[in-house]
Amino acid sequence: MSILYVLIPLALLLLGFAVWAFFWAVGSGQFDDLDTPAVRIIMDDDSKPDENDQP
Amino acid sequence: MTTGADTCFHCALPVPAACKLTVDIEGAQQPVCCPGCKAVAELIRDTGMSRYYDLRDAPDPGIGRPPDEAAEWSVFDSSDMLEAFTQRDGDMREATIYVGGMYCSACSWLIETTLGKQPGISSAEVNPITHRLRLRFPGEDAKLSSHLATLANLGYQPQPLSPESTTRPEVTEQRTALKRLLVASLGMMQVMMFAVGLYAMDFQGIDADMQHFLRLVSFFVTTPVVFYAARPFFTSAWRGVVGRKPGMDLPVSIAVGSAYVASIYSTFTRGEAVWFDSVTMFVFFLTLGRFLEMRARHRSIDRSAALSSLLPNTATRIDGDAHVVVPVNQLCAGDRVLIRAGDPIPADGVLGSGVTSVDESLLTGEARPQLKATGDELSAGCVNLDGLIEMTVTHTGSDTTLGTISRLSERARYARPAFVTLADRIASYIVIALLIVAAAVATFWYFADPDRAFVITLSVLVVTCPCALALATPAAFAAAGSRLSQLRLLVTNGNAIESLSRATLAMFDKTGTLTIGEPRIAAVFVIDNAFTEKDCRLVAAALEHASTHPLARAFAMQEALPAVSSPNIVVGQGVSGKIDGREWRIGNAEFVGGGVAAHDSKTTHVFLGVEGNAIAWFDLEDELRPDAKQTLNALRQLGLKTSLVSGDNMVAVLSVAEALDFGDAHFECTPEDKLSIIEAAQQAGETVVMIGDGINDAPVLAGADTSVAPAHGALLAQTSADVIMLGESLAPLTTAIEMSRKTMRIVRQNLVWAIVYNTLALPLAAAGFVPPWLAAIGMSASSLVVVLNALRLNRFE
Repeated sequence: MSILYVLIPLALLLLGFAVWAFFWAVGSGQFDDLDTPAVRIIMDDDSKPDENDQP
Repeated sequence: MTTGADTCFHCALPVPAACKLTVDIEGAQQPVCCPGCKAVAELIRDTGMSRYYDLRDAPDPGIGRPPDEAAEWSVFDSSDMLEAFTQRDGDMREATIYVGGMYCSACSWLIETTLGKQPGISSAEVNPITHRLRLRFPGEDAKLSSHLATLANLGYQPQPLSPESTTRPEVTEQRTALKRLLVASLGMMQVMMFAVGLYAMDFQGIDADMQHFLRLVSFFVTTPVVFYAARPFFTSAWRGVVGRKPGMDLPVSIAVGSAYVASIYSTFTRGEAVWFDSVTMFVFFLTLGRFLEMRARHRSIDRSAALSSLLPNTATRIDGDAHVVVPVNQLCAGDRVLIRAGDPIPADGVLGSGVTSVDESLLTGEARPQLKATGDELSAGCVNLDGLIEMTVTHTGSDTTLGTISRLSERARYARPAFVTLADRIASYIVIALLIVAAAVATFWYFADPDRAFVITLSVLVVTCPCALALATPAAFAAAGSRLSQLRLLVTNGNAIESLSRATLAMFDKTGTLTIGEPRIAAVFVIDNAFTEKDCRLVAAALEHASTHPLARAFAMQEALPAVSSPNIVVGQGVSGKIDGREWRIGNAEFVGGGVAAHDSKTTHVFLGVEGNAIAWFDLEDELRPDAKQTLNALRQLGLKTSLVSGDNMVAVLSVAEALDFGDAHFECTPEDKLSIIEAAQQAGETVVMIGDGINDAPVLAGADTSVAPAHGALLAQTSADVIMLGESLAPLTTAIEMSRKTMRIVRQNLVWAIVYNTLALPLAAAGFVPPWLAAIGMSASSLVVVLNALRLNRFE
């Protein structure tokens, strides 16, 4: 069980990194728009192939 | 998407009978209403974007229709303008552009994909909610004009925003809220994990050192949750104490604070129990609720864009002999500017020379043009109708009348007494009661069985955690808000749903709300029998074609018109011109001349005459919305009283009141009159919902319990309205009221459930029958029930 004394602080270190990364992402404006990305994915450019491509 | 044979494939306006234009989209010939729409549709097709027509929602007629006149974009390429409207970011420049005429997410797809394919653009992102386009392009040889022209060619109205108006308080608020939410959620997950270990050890026996270590770690993780994520609760609780108006945040703060302090004490004295898990979970659920509420609040079209879109981007300044085009935000008091016919006035000022008429409907609601002579004051946002004028600027930007009105209505909105929800009131009593009960339980068990006292007190605190209570209202409101926005109703004020559900009186503005806001010919009276009605209409259409007067649109015809030579617009009087060598005049009775009987009626008359003899007159009226009657009847069936208030004249108002069965109609009201009518009704015990548009209504809208604005009205009115109806129909109003009532029903169910759960769970926990782990499950389950019940609102038809 004494391994926990190492693993838990390690986990907290990772947690701290995750929080720092998220704060940075929020600060750089990546989360300013929470509405569009959900829609954008379903509007991918899947236009039909050109007629020239067909034999 | 298929449109009827007689509506334009692109913009959904009716196709004129004479128009035979079509466009070939994926093998089918589709009708279009004008060469502009044809060009846009072909542009969309040729760039491989035809899928836009499949993706978009049903368009509102006229949206996307290109402007008749191409705007001057090249002025945006000068280095001054680039400096004013873009931000430098390394080698790149970034511009934020407000895109007018967007109505669904397919528009954002079209704009992003079209602009993304253009050379010289590194990224284009559109937010369909705020209608903002963020454009990044290389700073060298930047051609903002070509991008703006592309947008205009697609049928949108681009409006570059200056950088200072793009850093909005909403953005900062959302960023902070997101960070708090993340700290609370990650902290909660970590602490819960340690808590599971601690609870398991309770059963299996525990190594005292490990227990102490886990508690220390929990303390370490909980600290930022309490001091960072929960800070708004503490500050708001403190404000409540200072202001002697304690809200729900006070007991929340006491619960969080005391549990935190007690846990620290327990940790360092190696006491019986810690409550770090309860603390973090409580903070997380509360933060989540607040976050969802905030998101709903921000879903409004923002004010800065609304204000700036009423003003032009540029103004022509007179510098000595030269005319310089400058961004409107560089104008100062004392500058002299030129304003062309048909252009909006860029700032408040004094008319320097000449006579003109001005459309002030935005400020006063008065549809008839106002005559202005040298020395008269002109207000920003109004439209100059006749001729080129010179104006000396007196006030700019937010100092203008327009700016002041928007500021006033904003203040009126904030000054409204803060709505304290039923949930907040009940929850604060309950939390205080819980704290007392928990203390009593602890005291009792301390004497009865000191070994179990802490565990039982912990169970009591956890099992009765008022999460379900705290979530009951926000969860239902958030679900209602998102469902309403799918139904094309935008709720911009969290209180609107509650006040809408209580509404007893619906007060309507007339122009632009119950009516379409565009005059049309109601009747033609021919005086001289030598002419037919058709002749009169044709001649009138030909003469009015030269005019920019708002009433002139009523005469437009899609047929071959007689040619008019030397047309002459006489300000405030009418139009004259020669047809087949004879002098024709259209306008007021005096202008047209001779033989016109006096009319005492107050509806708008326009006379037509030839060679000084009147031959006919036209009655003009504003058409009612097609679904106005149906909507009003539906509202009356819901038990609402209806009343009509309008700034218009008696005859016009009474005829509408009669057509729509209004028992109560007020006419010739100034905004102050309207406000006092609302206040009188409120004093009589009515809960008033005001439906109106137009900037002059903004303070009136703010005075009503709930305000609703149709989205096609002046943008500023939308920003002060609690609910915005997107689209041309009035019918969503009924939906909004039904939906709000259903929401309040669900809120009440949620509250009842939460209270019943707490009253059942509390005695059991206090009696020591509920172990801590069961308490945690019970609390989560009760919250889940509340959220699932709220989500039923998403299925509301």
